[in-house]
Amino acid sequence: MNFNFKHEWVETNVGLMAVLTMLAISVGGLVEIAPLFLIDKTVEKVEGVRPYTPLEQRGRDIYMREGCYTCHSQMIRPFRDEKLRYGHYSLAAESQYDHPFQWGSKRTGPDLARVGGKYSNEWHVQHLVAPRSMVEVSVMPNYPWLLTTKLDISDIEARMRALRKVGVPYSLSRAEYDANVTKFGETVAPQLHIPDARKNLVEQANFGNYDGDPSGISEMDALVAYLQVLGTMVDFSKYSDDAFVDVR
Amino acid sequence: MATDTPSGAEPAEQYNFDIVKKFAVMSLVWAVVGMCVGVWIASELAWPFLNFDSPYFSFGRFRPVHTSAVIFGFGGSALFATSYYVVQRTCQARLFPDGLASFTFWGWQTVIVLAAVSYVLGYTQAREYAEMEWPIDILIEAVWVSYLIVFVGTIMRRKQPHIYVANWFYLGFILATALLHTFNNLAMPIDLFSMKSYSLFAGTQDAMTQWWYGHNAVGFFLTAAFLGMMYYFVPKHAGRPIYSYRLSIVHFWALCFMYMWVGGHHLHWTALPDWTSSLAAAFSILLLMPSWGGMINGIMTLSGAWDKLRTDPVLRFMIVALSFYGMSTFEGPMMSLKEVNALSHYTDWTVGHVHSGALGWVAMISFGSLYHMMPRLWNTRMWSPRMIEWHFWLATIGIVLYIVAMWISGITQGLMWRSFDEFGNLQYSFAESVAKMMPFYAMRAIGGMFFLTGTAMMALNMFMTIRQGQRENAAAVAGKLAHA
Amino acid sequence: MEWLTWFSRPENTKPLALIIFFVTFIGILIYVYGSRKRGQKLESYRDIPFLDEQDVNKDKQ
Repeated sequence: MNFNFKHEWVETNVGLMAVLTMLAISVGGLVEIAPLFLIDKTVEKVEGVRPYTPLEQRGRDIYMREGCYTCHSQMIRPFRDEKLRYGHYSLAAESQYDHPFQWGSKRTGPDLARVGGKYSNEWHVQHLVAPRSMVEVSVMPNYPWLLTTKLDISDIEARMRALRKVGVPYSLSRAEYDANVTKFGETVAPQLHIPDARKNLVEQANFGNYDGDPSGISEMDALVAYLQVLGTMVDFSKYSDDAFVDVR
Repeated sequence: MATDTPSGAEPAEQYNFDIVKKFAVMSLVWAVVGMCVGVWIASELAWPFLNFDSPYFSFGRFRPVHTSAVIFGFGGSALFATSYYVVQRTCQARLFPDGLASFTFWGWQTVIVLAAVSYVLGYTQAREYAEMEWPIDILIEAVWVSYLIVFVGTIMRRKQPHIYVANWFYLGFILATALLHTFNNLAMPIDLFSMKSYSLFAGTQDAMTQWWYGHNAVGFFLTAAFLGMMYYFVPKHAGRPIYSYRLSIVHFWALCFMYMWVGGHHLHWTALPDWTSSLAAAFSILLLMPSWGGMINGIMTLSGAWDKLRTDPVLRFMIVALSFYGMSTFEGPMMSLKEVNALSHYTDWTVGHVHSGALGWVAMISFGSLYHMMPRLWNTRMWSPRMIEWHFWLATIGIVLYIVAMWISGITQGLMWRSFDEFGNLQYSFAESVAKMMPFYAMRAIGGMFFLTGTAMMALNMFMTIRQGQRENAAAVAGKLAHA
Repeated sequence: MEWLTWFSRPENTKPLALIIFFVTFIGILIYVYGSRKRGQKLESYRDIPFLDEQDVNKDKQ
């Protein structure tokens, strides 16, 4: 076993030291991360999860821009108290189109993974503009500028094209569109079509009127649209309680 | 030659100390800026009106300014300064390309400024501790490769056949940071002329990549590198060689190998597959051993010099740093246990843990090392030793206030969230748990203010020391001219 | 090539990896602490940080 190895070789040769150090530090990441891409059990197969519509995606951009992830998580853990407080625990599939993930690490405020549909649009708008008018003890900052800033939709196609390049199934061609019809259905597929992005965005904002002001599209429209879709894509009444256990 | 230097500094031409001085000054500038922002955002949580209804000062955009300024501005600059100092002195060679070293200085400072400005304006990747958008990431990459070249180049020029252990840790840190930064920041810009980009990975894979990065930013940037600092400055300042060189060999390799496995413990009970986070937890427990190897090596170096602790506040910074290092590397593995994590995760306990490492270990060892370097760099004594004493006590009290506040608030949150009433319903609403936090958020902000005051004193002390050094050296030159 | 599939099973590779890492670790330990002579040589490198001050110390008062 002992072939006259000397640690001095390493200590007197910076190249050898660098190579050995690289070896030592590479193993952990390789073993833990690479399989996540290869094992198909990492992400469950569930119905309903779809990419965000253009308006929702712009809302998500604003969520990231304002650093909401520094105080809110989007990852419900499989505990009884979290089920009562927030709902069914989060599935990997539910964030499969999230570039980047927004699971968060801190709950200065409550988890938002299933906040969609829990409060009205009006509640969200009022709460975002003046949180303490709705929850007296809240420490959340006021976000009045969301209501007064017009949503920039000029680069929505570019944003969706970038997301398409990293793997989100937004469609550019007829073939891709048809694939989306098969995968997500007749009503969702048009929303994912990049050439119609601007039209879709405006329509959804006008129809939803999330900010309560029909005159234009504000950043508030987008953010509330995003908050209202969070956690609503999977219909958990269709699955039994232990349906996802072996994926964990 | 050596007779020109009255108090022990080397002649200018032997070593490049100019670059060390620049980084040392900037590290304290960023310390003051970053901790100011830290105290501000801590106060925002206690008194929300401090957000001023302005996008530019709101917590979510300001928090990355704090983390980047203290980790990369203060910590990073302190690491550049000390590594350039240590590698030159232990290799007895001048930094290899002066020009490239200079680029690392200007490049790195530009990175911090750009990062802070871009966050405030709303450009962020929304990945913790890696919020810089892609153009800044590319600049970081360029600076980092230059850093590697300068560091390795200097080692290759060494007159000393052996590479001292401090340099191994610095080298490990440079390599690991390059690897982590590159893979965690893979992203697709929406346009060549836009700051905005989307991460290459999504969901679970993205989460694991990010926390592989996130925890090793702690492991290599904030631990291995500062151990390098410890391995030079503690023996040097105590005037005693390191306790055990053999222990340093074992714990260096163990630390390098094990740290890279533990990131998954940030994702316990999430949608990350169970095997990954369990494996990460197992390695987190094992990691206690190499971590304590470093602590024991440092503390045992000081044993036998305990009497100096009474008279030397700089040595006291170092021993307190090592104690906090030992404490937080015990707390960390404990929090990585799945049962403990179920309570501690998402609460202020994590924030407290990070700060016991960041303030207690990283900042204290940097302060000690900078106090050791300053008189030697500027060729004079410290302007005010009393102020060092004051700084030490303010910093120590500040840390204790901070950690205790976060322990109480974190455990309270965790317990309130999971408590049920007699009917099996949740006992507290989320808002009730927020209301309970108020006194502790105030206490934390006050602890931060103590720490900040100490740091500001150090900055003033350094400024006056530099002035004093310049005056003395000018007088010495003038005196010599008069004699000639 | 059949034998390669043996490695694809976690229940095989886990103990295998554990053994490899553990043996490496014990190897390092034996190397570092196993011989007194080698130990003394390794410990002599502790003094490197103090080598660059020899000429300077003479100047000090």
